[in-house]
Amino acid sequence: MSFSDSKGAVGVVEAVQVQLKKGVLELCVLALLSRADAYGYEIASRLAGGVEMGEGTIYPLMRRMQADRLVDTYLVESASGPSRKYYRMTPTGAARFEAQKSEWTAFSSAVNAILGGAQ
Amino acid sequence: MNRQDFITRLRAGLRGLPPPAIAEAVADYEAHFAEARAAGRGEDEVAAALGDPDRLARELRAEAGLKRWEAERNPSAAASAVFAVLGLGAIDILILLPILLWIGGTLLALFIAAVAGFGVGAVMMVAGPFAVHAAPVAALILAGLGLMAGAASLGAVAAIGAIGFTNALVWYGRLHLRLLRPALEPAAFAPGEITA
Repeated sequence: MSFSDSKGAVGVVEAVQVQLKKGVLELCVLALLSRADAYGYEIASRLAGGVEMGEGTIYPLMRRMQADRLVDTYLVESASGPSRKYYRMTPTGAARFEAQKSEWTAFSSAVNAILGGAQ
Repeated sequence: MNRQDFITRLRAGLRGLPPPAIAEAVADYEAHFAEARAAGRGEDEVAAALGDPDRLARELRAEAGLKRWEAERNPSAAASAVFAVLGLGAIDILILLPILLWIGGTLLALFIAAVAGFGVGAVMMVAGPFAVHAAPVAALILAGLGLMAGAASLGAVAAIGAIGFTNALVWYGRLHLRLLRPALEPAAFAPGEITA
């Protein structure tokens, strides 16, 4: 665990990175669902590669987002196998998405401006 | 590790949660394996891509514990939230334990003082006029009432302290653990606003 061996900065930096990825992951899930409803495997395989997190992390995240009422679920019969659990964005989720998206845009453009200036 | 091993370890890690919660979590990962098989991926590869089942179980368990504390503010929910957070190993127990003991001890002392003060006040109010003949009766009754009121407010302060303490711990866990509120929402990090 990054914090149990915390001799200081390294643990903190790692925790912040993980935290950032978590935050970004939620934003990415909301972005994905803002375009179309999706089922778990779809979300996991589309996001995990991009954000470098285990695919399994998606499920605790989806459960938390469901508990926070950002998404809800419904079942769809699948021709090829068992029925799929689809996730759908709620109005609360849509509001959260808009708020996070504009925060992210402002934050990342500020960071990009600084990075660009340093080159 | 194949599908069976993964599910077994996940199940073992979730032991103690309500059976429906375990069934739902297991169903998520079973469905994931089924979809992956349909896409032509091998079980071992999928299990590796999913990540450590023990860790995933701890995340699910911690989230369940925190949710319970948010839903019902009672000592048992507080204990399960604290243990869930500790179970994730997010808080260095050696650093935290002395602080926990100190704050917990202080709160306990406050509660005991409140109960004792209330008792003394009650005795003074009821029995005082018979026992102490020198003092005026009205003064003894008023003093007893005052002592009881003071003790009640001390108890209330201790209760608020205990709730705040658990909230702070949950907040700390959320800050450092990985499941948690995005870093993009500084407002959600304010202690006492866990429900935001």
